[in-house]
Amino acid sequence: MLLIDLCIQGLIQGAIYALIALGLTLVYGLLRILHVAHAALFTLGGYVGVVVTNGSGSFLLALLTAMLIVGFVGMASYRVIYKPLLMRPPLIALIASIGVFIASEELFRLVFGAYGLSYTNPPLKGQVEILPGISLSHARILVVVLAVGLLSGMGWLAVHTRIGIAARATVVDPAMAASSGVNVETIRYASFFIGSAFAGAAGVMVSLLNNLVEPTMGAVPSYKALAIIVLGGLGSVRGALVASLALGVIEAFGTIYVGHILDRDSIAFAFLIMILMVRPQGLLARG
Amino acid sequence: MRHYIKSALSTGMLATGVLAAGVLVAGSMVMSASADTIKIGFNVPLTGFAAADGQSALHGAELGVGQVNAAGGINGEMLELVVYDDQASPKEAAPLAVKMITQDEIVAGVSGSYSGATRAAATIFAESKVPYISAYAIHPDITRAGDYVFRTSFMGEVQGRAGAKLIGEMLGKKRVAMVTLNNDFGKSLATGFKEQAGNFGIEIVAEYEYSIKDREFGPIISKIKADKPDAIYASGYFFTAGPMVSQIRAAGLDQPVVGQEGYDSQKFIEIAGGASEGVLITTSLDRDSSAAETKDFIKGFAAKAGYPADMVAASAHTAILVLADALKKSGSGDKAALRDAVAKTDLTASTGHISFNALGEVQKDVQVQIVKNGNWHHHSVISDAVLLAPPAQ
Repeated sequence: MLLIDLCIQGLIQGAIYALIALGLTLVYGLLRILHVAHAALFTLGGYVGVVVTNGSGSFLLALLTAMLIVGFVGMASYRVIYKPLLMRPPLIALIASIGVFIASEELFRLVFGAYGLSYTNPPLKGQVEILPGISLSHARILVVVLAVGLLSGMGWLAVHTRIGIAARATVVDPAMAASSGVNVETIRYASFFIGSAFAGAAGVMVSLLNNLVEPTMGAVPSYKALAIIVLGGLGSVRGALVASLALGVIEAFGTIYVGHILDRDSIAFAFLIMILMVRPQGLLARG
Repeated sequence: MRHYIKSALSTGMLATGVLAAGVLVAGSMVMSASADTIKIGFNVPLTGFAAADGQSALHGAELGVGQVNAAGGINGEMLELVVYDDQASPKEAAPLAVKMITQDEIVAGVSGSYSGATRAAATIFAESKVPYISAYAIHPDITRAGDYVFRTSFMGEVQGRAGAKLIGEMLGKKRVAMVTLNNDFGKSLATGFKEQAGNFGIEIVAEYEYSIKDREFGPIISKIKADKPDAIYASGYFFTAGPMVSQIRAAGLDQPVVGQEGYDSQKFIEIAGGASEGVLITTSLDRDSSAAETKDFIKGFAAKAGYPADMVAASAHTAILVLADALKKSGSGDKAALRDAVAKTDLTASTGHISFNALGEVQKDVQVQIVKNGNWHHHSVISDAVLLAPPAQ
């Protein structure tokens, strides 16, 4: 029973990783840039979630607002940070991204205070017994529902719509896609919007599970999401999803059974190194 | 540069805003403009992950300086706090210590920071023979840096021992699961707890470690559920313990949770919400104290900071008052005389009666606080001089 419980806890964590890592993978696929500032958008989602919920009393409204606002800020980050640097080596954009991420932590602190924010009346606290002896809070169940819903919605979009097909074409060969009439800029903005909105949703859910949003909430995702997309095979959406879930479960078991030797991050990176030794291209790399 | 601007910003929060502008324009102006004040250096994390504790500690220290100055200062001379943001990082704290000692010409320093930064600065203070008080950093090696280093709060081990007595003897719970924060704070608490566990009949059924970055304790809680302990001894800070306690209760575990001074903030109660009710901690500050010093502090802090007092604020406040008391007694600007005066401290401050042992470790009672109706309240006091004796060398 404990093993099943640990698997479930790991999958919930993995679902959060997946929501965060998706945007990073999309951006890498399109621009070959490591978008570290993505983690700041995750934090922003958390703040919007708490502020709107506390202000309006509606968690649903907060979740939607957070996704929308974070999505637009994500688009703005492309316009302001990355677009002017596209002609430069990717290292320049990476450094700019790290700079924006660090500055955003301090900005959150100045705007919202160093102590972080909490829900005055945390929603979704009820419990459901999903298996005998294992009950989960509504919030945890929502994490899974949201991740599955959003990610499969995105999957459907990628396969069945013109913009989805155009996006995939752009990832494979931007020049050819452009010459076939695909508006590459639109694809980039759309990808930033979707990826950032998902990170915003993840931020809201994490803020609810912890009942805390801190300026430094993005610190761990900022590098762990990078590990996930490397693990998945850079730029592979499916790989990032598999890697997210695998990492969530590995960390859950690792915390219990080797936690006194390695902390959660070390477990994640040890796993990353082991996989890369066997499959240097990542779990599900594109050819 | 970013760093200096931030230091200047924090200094600007003091009443000496004008001088802060001077720091930016020309460092040398500060010396001449404030030659008639007694300067106390204060390194504190105002940015980065520990900024919340740093902010509280700064409020506490400023309150202490304000109170001393309002009461006429040190034999007529005013105290001035020279504040630097160390980001709770040793690599920031060490050069700041040098700067405070050599450029700012402080008479003594106080650390409002965590152990890593405090250790790095303590070595430099000890070598330069300038008195230095660690307000709430708990690492055992801090006071071992030298004769000039003191600590006004409990070492981790001492508090861990108090935790064992609280759980094993006062609560009568024998099967305990430990959740340990894997930094110097959590580890030294765990050491003290385990050292005394046997003496109070405690069986440690399991110990789990987590890192300061963790806010998600699902797997650990699942395992504790399977362990079925009588009580949970969990180290952490309010920002880890808040999520942890709320997740523990959300998972349906109803065993007593015992923490320590890291929980000691109103923010812990805000994060954990209803789940915080009944949580016990060992700490330095008694919210329901009848002592005038403590009541004064609690009232003054809330008025100044706009939120209720916490342990780090009380500890920083205490450290400033200890220094002020020693400055009055030593009378001169002589640092060796000041050091001796600090060593002989016999003072009641906001965190209780303070005196130091030969190593510079504080000797005082441990306060046990409990969350009741959304506030910290008095539960009991542990005043066992033998159990709580800090190491003397």
